[in-house]
Amino acid sequence: MHDTFYDVVVIGSGPAGATTARYLAERHLSVLLIDKRQELGAPVQCSGAVSRHALEEVDIPITDEFIQEPIYGFGIYDQAGDMTRIDYRMLKGDEYGPGNGKKPLGYVVDRRRFDRYLMTLAERAGATVQLKTEGLGYESLDDGQCRVRLRHFRQETSVRCRVVVGADGLMSQVGKWAGLRTHIRINELASCLQYVVDQVETEGLLEIITGHEWAPGGYAWVFPKGHGYAEIGLGVIPTFTDRDAQWHLRHFMEQSFFKDRFRDSRILEIQGGGVPLAAPLRVQYADHMILVGDAARHVNPITGGGIHTALSGGAIAAQFLTEHLSTDQPTRADQLAACQDAWYEELGRKMWKLYDVKTDIFREKDVPKRDLALFETMSSYFSPESEYKKI
Amino acid sequence: MSDRTPVLFDIGWNACINCGACVAICPQPEPFISPFDTIAVDRPCDIACMLCEDICPVSTIEHTEVTSATNGNQSPYHR
Repeated sequence: MHDTFYDVVVIGSGPAGATTARYLAERHLSVLLIDKRQELGAPVQCSGAVSRHALEEVDIPITDEFIQEPIYGFGIYDQAGDMTRIDYRMLKGDEYGPGNGKKPLGYVVDRRRFDRYLMTLAERAGATVQLKTEGLGYESLDDGQCRVRLRHFRQETSVRCRVVVGADGLMSQVGKWAGLRTHIRINELASCLQYVVDQVETEGLLEIITGHEWAPGGYAWVFPKGHGYAEIGLGVIPTFTDRDAQWHLRHFMEQSFFKDRFRDSRILEIQGGGVPLAAPLRVQYADHMILVGDAARHVNPITGGGIHTALSGGAIAAQFLTEHLSTDQPTRADQLAACQDAWYEELGRKMWKLYDVKTDIFREKDVPKRDLALFETMSSYFSPESEYKKI
Repeated sequence: MSDRTPVLFDIGWNACINCGACVAICPQPEPFISPFDTIAVDRPCDIACMLCEDICPVSTIEHTEVTSATNGNQSPYHR
């Protein structure tokens, strides 16, 4: 029996993979989008903050199906609790706000609903979607195609394609199959934990709390989560502390300037994740293979935000593949390198610059100086004048 | 290949929040992953860098050393 052929097989249906698959399918390529999970977005490893611009840029309809709460700005705190308020309802009140004709700056989304919605969009665009399907490996064939081995529930199958898109997240195995250097350094992976809580008030701002005392090597956050809920979380870098994220989160909730605010909080969900505060992978492609999203380390190294960069990176990869696959050119690493070049021009250059900024901050050994640098960088990053507001 | 004693990891499964950080930090060149998306627990790790233990947000990874007289499937291990 012959393997089914697809132009592209996308492994992993998160924001990057589903967006890549949707655009390819819209442009009439045959696409198989697989995910090993039974419920996309779960277990939740993400706070879910994303700018409105990031969604609009890749044609995602903004719908109640996945939005938990609109966001209008930021509150950046230093270790003692002094706050820089960047509230776009005040800064640009005619444009941003809850009223008619005004818009939010961004949203906190439910990743379970969001990721499912993005998969649905890909499916409606014509992609073949399969859950509970795990990629096992792939190999190049003599005819210029490749074979991807899959396991659907307990059944092993294989398909043929011209290109595999590895969108399998931080723990990417697709990159390892191709022998790429995907290893991340311990001082560049934030260990993150967050609680979804009841009984903590928020006011439409993403609140970011800096300071070595609360989140060594990273920052803590309080985000609105809709329906009166909030999420309280933090990320720490293990080389900056001997304690784990759980200890630091308890310390932050019980000892910080927010301890009264958090006094009646009730934990409704516990979520965690590793967030790469690293440079993007130097090489994000191989023969018949391109990485996107977290798998390629397309994560903002200052904020740890990865949804926008995943969506944009997916769109860029789809644009490249649409053009490339319309020709009879091979899909070896030499040809696919141009995809990374296109990504670099649009996003990568900025991400590497942010990585340099972040590296300079955390290279500082003097803790008060480092704290001040992080606070000031965060404050300027989210201001309307920031040169980086688009990523 | 490290000159450290190989270790077998042990995960407190209910404490695990399935965050994936241990797999992300793991320097093993080949996939070293369990069916539950954690680092592998069914075979010894010969690198024994313990980065997975350091990154775990809830400290739920422990290990036992595997002596040359044993392998990953046999007792006894020692701490």
